[in-house]
Amino acid sequence: MASHIREFLGHEKPSDYYSKLAEELERTNSEYHAFNVIKKDTEAKNQVPFSTKANICVKGVETTAGSKMLRGYVPPFNATVVERMLKEGSFSFIGETNMDEFGFGTFGINTEVPARNAFDSRYAAGGSSSGSAVATALLKYHVAIAESTGGSISTPAALNGVVGFTPTYGAVSRYGLIDYANSLDKIGIMARSSDDARGVFDVIRGRDNYDVTCAIEKITNNKKGKLFVIEELLEKADPKIRSEFERLLDKLGKEYEIKTISMNILSDAIEPYYIIAMAEASTNLAKYNGYKYGFQYGEFNRRYNDFFTEARSNFGMEAKRRIILGTFIRSESVKARYYTKALMIRQMIINEMGKVLKDGFVISPTLPIPTPKIADVEKLTPVQNYALDVFTIPPSIGGFPHLTFPYAYVNEMPIGAQIITEQANDYALLDFSSKWEESFQYKYKHNIGSL
Amino acid sequence: MEDREFDRLLKIARLKLNDTERKRIKSDIEEIIGYFDKIDVISTHERPAYQPIHVPTRLRKDEIAHFDDVDGLKRQSKLHNGYILGPKL
Repeated sequence: MASHIREFLGHEKPSDYYSKLAEELERTNSEYHAFNVIKKDTEAKNQVPFSTKANICVKGVETTAGSKMLRGYVPPFNATVVERMLKEGSFSFIGETNMDEFGFGTFGINTEVPARNAFDSRYAAGGSSSGSAVATALLKYHVAIAESTGGSISTPAALNGVVGFTPTYGAVSRYGLIDYANSLDKIGIMARSSDDARGVFDVIRGRDNYDVTCAIEKITNNKKGKLFVIEELLEKADPKIRSEFERLLDKLGKEYEIKTISMNILSDAIEPYYIIAMAEASTNLAKYNGYKYGFQYGEFNRRYNDFFTEARSNFGMEAKRRIILGTFIRSESVKARYYTKALMIRQMIINEMGKVLKDGFVISPTLPIPTPKIADVEKLTPVQNYALDVFTIPPSIGGFPHLTFPYAYVNEMPIGAQIITEQANDYALLDFSSKWEESFQYKYKHNIGSL
Repeated sequence: MEDREFDRLLKIARLKLNDTERKRIKSDIEEIIGYFDKIDVISTHERPAYQPIHVPTRLRKDEIAHFDDVDGLKRQSKLHNGYILGPKL
């Protein structure tokens, strides 16, 4: 598929292109809620619009991470990824996108006004980078800077039929990202083609003195001839998803050797992932105290603990649940049983996946169920919800790069598959999906900003 | 989870819940901890992976850098005579 970025840059545009784009986007956004902020006073000149997830700091733009706790927070600096996009010159900031509060969610509903699926607004957009995916499916020429901790790029990308690329942990600087879980957070990209994702990746990746964990400098392109399907994971997929996925494997079988293998440890990845994520989240959220960032509690005559406790009532339900669980997991009496053990299991997963990924890609559906309606997602218990991350957690806990691409449309809703490779071999994923796009045309219901 | 243990966690986390939240979150947390307990059956002697990749210690030079948006920082908070207001200790 041709690069939308190149196509856009090669076209003449009317002088009011960007103002009309913002107007149309604003109208459409009232139904889909993809954006928290739409920039209307853009000075863009023949630049591709890009958005940022609302947990990535943009100087002078209210950045709330989807939380009432950060309402009113206006960063006085740009995140490194934003700085690099602006400096490159081909991109212009268009707005900030909706998300689950602090990234806590699989379906985008853990926020005040959830984003809605771009193909049918009764359905879930996916989370936590819900707005990034919906924005990409609404706008013809646009790229989204998103972020994933345990599948927050893959899941919404799959549900909205866009390419969702999560680079190797440490390949892209996280300076200026509002943290969820530091050892899991990755900044990545959503786009309408793999070539566009590659173009943005080349702009934002690379060492940054402001982020010591940004340690992956060299990215390789070791192509693989085999596709591994993990038996224990595929068993968890709904029969409808499974039969569509098997049709995909039939198509890919003409180019790749498909092998079903057993990797038992991956069916045990969800629990250690959530243990690590909640432990780290509870420490990261300790800094929100009602007077330093965003929300101002204002009752300064209160004693410190009372002030702090009252102010923190502003966290949403899922955030409170994760803070309490994270605090429990870090308690001295159970830390070795939960937290340290989870870190040891992570090493097992890295070792076992690493061996398999040397020989080929791992491929799976992205989500085990068809796109759910928002009303149905609201009925899920937290454990039912977490269990749906079964395909996106294994690469996330191990820091492996992964990419979701649309491969079928059922009842006019897109379905995505996810491909994983070894750490720092990100270009091989982008090449894989570029090749897929030569024989498969992605479809969209909206094409705002068409030329 | 005993009420006493739950209250201890709320105190450490500086969170206050209303009755509806307390009932729902406490029951969810009990279910989630039961779910986490599944890791007990996994046998492992690996070293804990605090990061998924090797992160080398990279030190940068200790140089003075100029920051020119002090007002931008102050705009985040309520001020009194130019100082950021905070609660009583």
